[in-house]
Amino acid sequence: MIEAILANIAKDFRIEFRRRFAVNVALSFAAITTLAVSLTAGGARLETRTHALLFWIIIFFSAMNGLSHVFTREEEEGTALFLRTTSPELAVFTAKLVFNMAVMAVIAAAVVPLYVFFLNVEIASPGRFALVACAGSAAIASSTTALGAIVARAGGRGSLFTIISFPVVLPPLWVSIKATQASIAGGGAAQSIVFLLAFSGALVAVSYMLFGHIWIEE
Amino acid sequence: MAITRLVHVFMPAAIVMAFVYAPAAEVLGETSRLLYFHVPLAWVSVMAFAVSGIASVAFLAGSKGRFPAAETTFHNSATLGTFSALLATATGSVWAKLMWGSYWNWDPRETSIVILLLIYFAYFSLRSALAGKASRGRLSAAYLVIAMTVMPFFVFVIPRVFRSLHPDPVINPGMKILLEPEMKLALIVSAAAFSLLYFHLLRITNRVSKIQAAMEDLSDE
Repeated sequence: MIEAILANIAKDFRIEFRRRFAVNVALSFAAITTLAVSLTAGGARLETRTHALLFWIIIFFSAMNGLSHVFTREEEEGTALFLRTTSPELAVFTAKLVFNMAVMAVIAAAVVPLYVFFLNVEIASPGRFALVACAGSAAIASSTTALGAIVARAGGRGSLFTIISFPVVLPPLWVSIKATQASIAGGGAAQSIVFLLAFSGALVAVSYMLFGHIWIEE
Repeated sequence: MAITRLVHVFMPAAIVMAFVYAPAAEVLGETSRLLYFHVPLAWVSVMAFAVSGIASVAFLAGSKGRFPAAETTFHNSATLGTFSALLATATGSVWAKLMWGSYWNWDPRETSIVILLLIYFAYFSLRSALAGKASRGRLSAAYLVIAMTVMPFFVFVIPRVFRSLHPDPVINPGMKILLEPEMKLALIVSAAAFSLLYFHLLRITNRVSKIQAAMEDLSDE
């Protein structure tokens, strides 16, 4: 099983490294929205709450542009059937989850400096801010990976991924916004980080249980 | 059959009790009668979601036709849940306008019903995207199970994000209904009537779905 997981992870990363589609689209979207916010704000000083809201809206929509790609690619290129017959479903899901976590890490790593640079944010607790960004991004990736598989099976239509992901991602999004606001102002965020990790754990566990029903053809 | 008869008894009783038997509340006045429709509708929308979730789990767990009615049950329950959530939102908004001065205030319970509606709308969008596919039942059931998993997290999050405007005497941390006895009885009868109506409608819609499926099979032959 571990060999199959590692083989799948290597395959997904190799394909993405060759084309860089998911990461390029997500990063371009993140850069455009951050610049759009900065330009339209026109140098105005925003409240910490507004900063936290805008930061997570940019992360959420950037994620929506990149996270479903790992499954839709398999369906579009006709490799899904091959993958179903050659790899156990748990290995496939684990590889896709690891890949999506990496995509979210790249998005967060790009959005944080861009946002801080273009919107002149002064963060009182940078360490906590970074931890919240990591935990929030992990929660988004872990809650939407199985949804990406569902959307891919539905033909990967337009904004369906965003529509079905939004209600599921709302709790970590709210908590992340609150914790980001607190970390910008210098407050604590430990409880929020625990919540985000618990949420990720619960959703990953349920996704593992459901993935067989989503992935396998009857 | 018993449910149908009970609906015929409870529904008129609930309406008569709401308008005649129960007294108007002291501060809220005649507008308090909305309570006997708004609260049961909100209750039914949550119950329908729970039934959808449980039927989805049964559908996924009981493959090879162990629960043949599970797919129609979770889908029809979601449809009924959407209607009752919309009606609960409409009645709640009218009351909010009368009591708090605006139709919408992002109170925790208003937020909860919006999230429930978002889940229902997402479910129907997914369902329509899967039209004609053999995996439609499994994938939409999987989505409902994921949505049901997220629900307990909302209970933790929403009160910390939005402040409540809902009257404490009706819904409070002690989980006790602190109403006058006549009002309490009217509310219980109304909640029972709407619950029975939901199960009655679910049974009818399940039968319609079964007939539709049989007709489709016949036309295929």
